[in-house]
Amino acid sequence: MDFSEPAHWQEIRRQAEDFVAQHVTPDVIAEERRTGDGVNRAVMRELGRRGWIAPAWPVEEGGAGLDPFEAGVLTATLRAGGVPTTGHGTTMLPANAIRALGSAELKRRVLPGVAAGETLICLGYTEPAGGSDVFACATTARRDDGRWVINGQKMFTTFAHRADYCFLLTRSVPESRGGQGLTVFLVPLPSAGVEIRPVRTIGFERTNLVFWTDVHVGDEWVVGEPHEGLAVMRAALQAEHSVAPASRTEQVWLQTRAIAAGLTDDAGRSLTDDPLVRIRLARMALDAEVASLLTMRAAVLEAAGAVAGPGAALWGPESYVRAAINALDIIGSRATLDWPDADAPLEGALAAHYRAAVATTIYGGSSEVLRSLIAEQRLGLPRSRPKQ
Amino acid sequence: MDLDLSPEQRAVRATFAQLFQRSATAERVRAAEPAGWDADLWREYVDVGALEIGVDEQAGGAGGGLVELALIAEEAGRTLAPIPCAAAGVATRLLAAADASEALTQVLSGERLVSFAPSTAPLPGQLLVDGAITDAVIALQDDRLALVERPDRREVRANVGASPLQCWSGTAAHTVLATGGKARDLHAHAVDELRVLRAASLVGLAHRAIELGAAYAKVRTAFGDPIGRYQAVAHPLADALVACDGAQLLCWKAAWALDAGLDRGSALAGMAFVHAAETAQSAAGHSLHVHGGYGFMEETDIQLYYRRAKAWTVALADPARELLRVADELLAG
Repeated sequence: MDFSEPAHWQEIRRQAEDFVAQHVTPDVIAEERRTGDGVNRAVMRELGRRGWIAPAWPVEEGGAGLDPFEAGVLTATLRAGGVPTTGHGTTMLPANAIRALGSAELKRRVLPGVAAGETLICLGYTEPAGGSDVFACATTARRDDGRWVINGQKMFTTFAHRADYCFLLTRSVPESRGGQGLTVFLVPLPSAGVEIRPVRTIGFERTNLVFWTDVHVGDEWVVGEPHEGLAVMRAALQAEHSVAPASRTEQVWLQTRAIAAGLTDDAGRSLTDDPLVRIRLARMALDAEVASLLTMRAAVLEAAGAVAGPGAALWGPESYVRAAINALDIIGSRATLDWPDADAPLEGALAAHYRAAVATTIYGGSSEVLRSLIAEQRLGLPRSRPKQ
Repeated sequence: MDLDLSPEQRAVRATFAQLFQRSATAERVRAAEPAGWDADLWREYVDVGALEIGVDEQAGGAGGGLVELALIAEEAGRTLAPIPCAAAGVATRLLAAADASEALTQVLSGERLVSFAPSTAPLPGQLLVDGAITDAVIALQDDRLALVERPDRREVRANVGASPLQCWSGTAAHTVLATGGKARDLHAHAVDELRVLRAASLVGLAHRAIELGAAYAKVRTAFGDPIGRYQAVAHPLADALVACDGAQLLCWKAAWALDAGLDRGSALAGMAFVHAAETAQSAAGHSLHVHGGYGFMEETDIQLYYRRAKAWTVALADPARELLRVADELLAG
């Protein structure tokens, strides 16, 4: 047993920090805050040159040949440094599914561009009437004259307006239900019949509502086998659970401590001398420690080929929300000031956390769904949702 | 980095899991409640060499560390084994650290039971967690770490956790083990070790409580379905299980850090204790509730867990105060 981190992780961190210092300019940060796209093509290409878009892929496939821990250290450092990661990070979910189940032709066409930071793939699972219930998919794909014709709507299709492809879940067998009769496509964007409308969120993130009207797609864009989309989705969703954002709880605890140390209460006493503040800071640190241990353990299990289950994906976001709530309670109104207000501590970091945290317990599997999975998989309790 | 147990550690865990499953049955746990402990189980525990595991080889032990003792404490907690694993384990290591070889030999042979008092309040006023059964206790009194003999024998007092709680009268014969700064350091380190072992026992308790709740929720039906299908029943069990996973890892990390002599060890030990205590409380509380009125009955096992979740915690510290101490560690300097 040894909880100390390998010495070379510090070297990976240093390289990532050098990258941040060189490429995450004030302009990059300002653009990201203004657009909320989570995409910066110039930065992506620089990452791709280093194999850092797909760091866990072999070097010959355009990756950096890192193990899952090294890749985690790298991406966490890049994200903490302000690199917009939503676009290429999300792209890796379908990219890994394509790498596992796609045709040789599809892999050849798409994956090198992904690794190079040239290609973005957005996720087309969620529909206006189906979020956590992914397989409530009502978007249809029907055969017409040797091609596929797609009709429907997708919701929360983040960075669709910047993407090269959409990894699209459709119902290809009429009257089929649930996980049966589904086909997954990689649809090139833009395509005729695809209309993308912006949706603004409270986390300064722009997402989209996408209308699909008689969109024509060839067979070469089917991922896996037609009508066997369930297996493809399993591969991609499994990846989504396991890369659930490493908790930002620790970041909130360290930032709150730093801000509180510089503030005083009405009696002129430092906030960090107040037991009511201290007890909540200790709680944040405890939550962060648990989050990091659970995440590390999940990575260990997955590296060994085992299934870790969604425990870390539940605790991380839930503790992030708790920390953000406590941070605003402790610091007060000043912490609610948004960037670019000059009085906002740490450029509005706490306000941004409070805004963003609540979504992390929803996307990538809502906490309610994750709890049901844990109850079923770990405790053997009966399935709470109706069978389909 | 290696978050897993070594083959030797797995063997330790398996050995004690078997021992407690065989000898700390719910029937024996109940039978031990009036006396506050199971003296036969303690004899068996000492005879298999449990106390030696945490002592260095040159001091006559088996050369294990706090990690090994934490694994044992967790298994003891799972079955609610009515023996003083945590405090006696800490006291034994403390005797070795203080070079009290004669007392150590007596403890390792099972001739005497020595416990440990984390509080530095005057000993005569303290309600000692093993006061009714231990032959002596190691306490820090007036800057001196002393091995204090029990002055007299008193009956155990009825209490929520069926613990062998007792106060000692007046002053008693004692041997000074260390003085001044060394005494304070040894005591502080022992308190950290007790935090970890108490946490580990609460992790075992919590985990088993969750299993009992889940097992009942599968067979008990209401409104035409097993109640485990209802999310209001299932989800708190899932939350408790994840919290329990985290508490176990925190215990291991704290034990590893203290064994390695790292500065962070004390803060981690406090976190492990707070998190395990809160997890045990919520796990046992919810699992009892899942049992409905049956959980409130003496003959149902979950009540044994619910009572000890609180008793084992407050025998060491108020978790909120402990969190403030963690803050002192983290915010210093």
